[in-house]
Amino acid sequence: MEYLWSRDDAATVRQVHEALSSTREIAYTTVMTVLDRLAKKGSVQQLRDGRAYLYRPAFTRDELTAELMHEALGTVDGADRASALVRFIDTASADDAAALRAALAEIARRETSS
Amino acid sequence: MIGFGSGAATPLILTALALVLAGPAPAWLARSAWPSRVPRAALVLWQALALAALLSALGAGLSVGTLAVLNERPGTGMLILHGLAFAFTVLVLARLLWSAHTLGVSLRARRRRHRQLVDLLGRDDRRAPGAHILEAPSPFAYCVPGLQSRLVVSSSALEALGDDELRAVLEHERAHSRARHDLVLEGFTALHNAFPRVVRSRAALDSAAGLVEMLADDAARRRTGALPLGRALARLAGAPVPAGAMGSGSVTPLARIQRLAAPGDEVHRSLAAAVYAGAAAIVTVPTLTVAAPWLAELSAYV
Repeated sequence: MEYLWSRDDAATVRQVHEALSSTREIAYTTVMTVLDRLAKKGSVQQLRDGRAYLYRPAFTRDELTAELMHEALGTVDGADRASALVRFIDTASADDAAALRAALAEIARRETSS
Repeated sequence: MIGFGSGAATPLILTALALVLAGPAPAWLARSAWPSRVPRAALVLWQALALAALLSALGAGLSVGTLAVLNERPGTGMLILHGLAFAFTVLVLARLLWSAHTLGVSLRARRRRHRQLVDLLGRDDRRAPGAHILEAPSPFAYCVPGLQSRLVVSSSALEALGDDELRAVLEHERAHSRARHDLVLEGFTALHNAFPRVVRSRAALDSAAGLVEMLADDAARRRTGALPLGRALARLAGAPVPAGAMGSGSVTPLARIQRLAAPGDEVHRSLAAAVYAGAAAIVTVPTLTVAAPWLAELSAYV
């Protein structure tokens, strides 16, 4: 996917395979399978060029990042505002730093005393 | 056995019970401080409360319906009144099932899409094994729940956290995905969505959300100790949080750190046992004393 994003035009399976095998051992058929799967999921577009298929990203990296961040930061609009994710911190916090430090000091004190 | 619920009293008792279980009881539980000492038992109690309220409401509607049918010479007024009550019950149940269905479908679709994006855009990092790192200026960490769950940490959270703090965050999120806390919250969200805006309250949903955080905190504390987790909470406390996730009942980072400073859950065995017993009683006692006599009466007619 990185390689496809780095190109301006669509690439054949062979071109992707050549680019990837310069850095790691990878089978031609693996590349073909992965590209086919990405096409089925709608992440890449499959174009017919004679007898070969050409692949190019369906969306730019920025478009996908924007969509991802929308959900990650919880700014999705919609009727159901239920979060699809389970976050480490999900509450807006007006806690001031001093209170946080005091609570941390209490944990440290307890751990050293026990 | 002499039941309370012989004859016409059954629907009245069940209605009163449903109202108490849906109104004052959750309000009291949400205000109480002790649930944070026994989060697992408290979560079970919340579920028992929701189940019992639902069963009472459904029982009230159904028993009203059978009353009208069993009456040998029902008046027109009675038929209409009881028919309405019965129809209302069916409506409530249908709304609940529909709410659960639409929520489930939409959450699963959003999670599937999000997982796909995380796989495409995330990178690995030696410091956070098993997690996907996203380039982002705000420090956050979350899990995409499901059978194929994903742990996600933003690049700035990775920078902000020390190794043991990062480990505490990952253990916290792993606990969420292992225990399928998302399913618990999904249940409470569906229940919440099923009721019209004017009558519903966020008490149950917010409390449940706070309790699962505490459970995940406890799991992480057992593996990494309280201090790294507390530090991680303090470091990420300033991060922006989603607008929709702010609930008055949810537990703040400060409350979670203060909780970590208190003794662990092993101290509160007897409190937990009492809460479990209460949860079991809430579900079984109304069934045995009110619903069973009514069912017996019903079967006598048939």
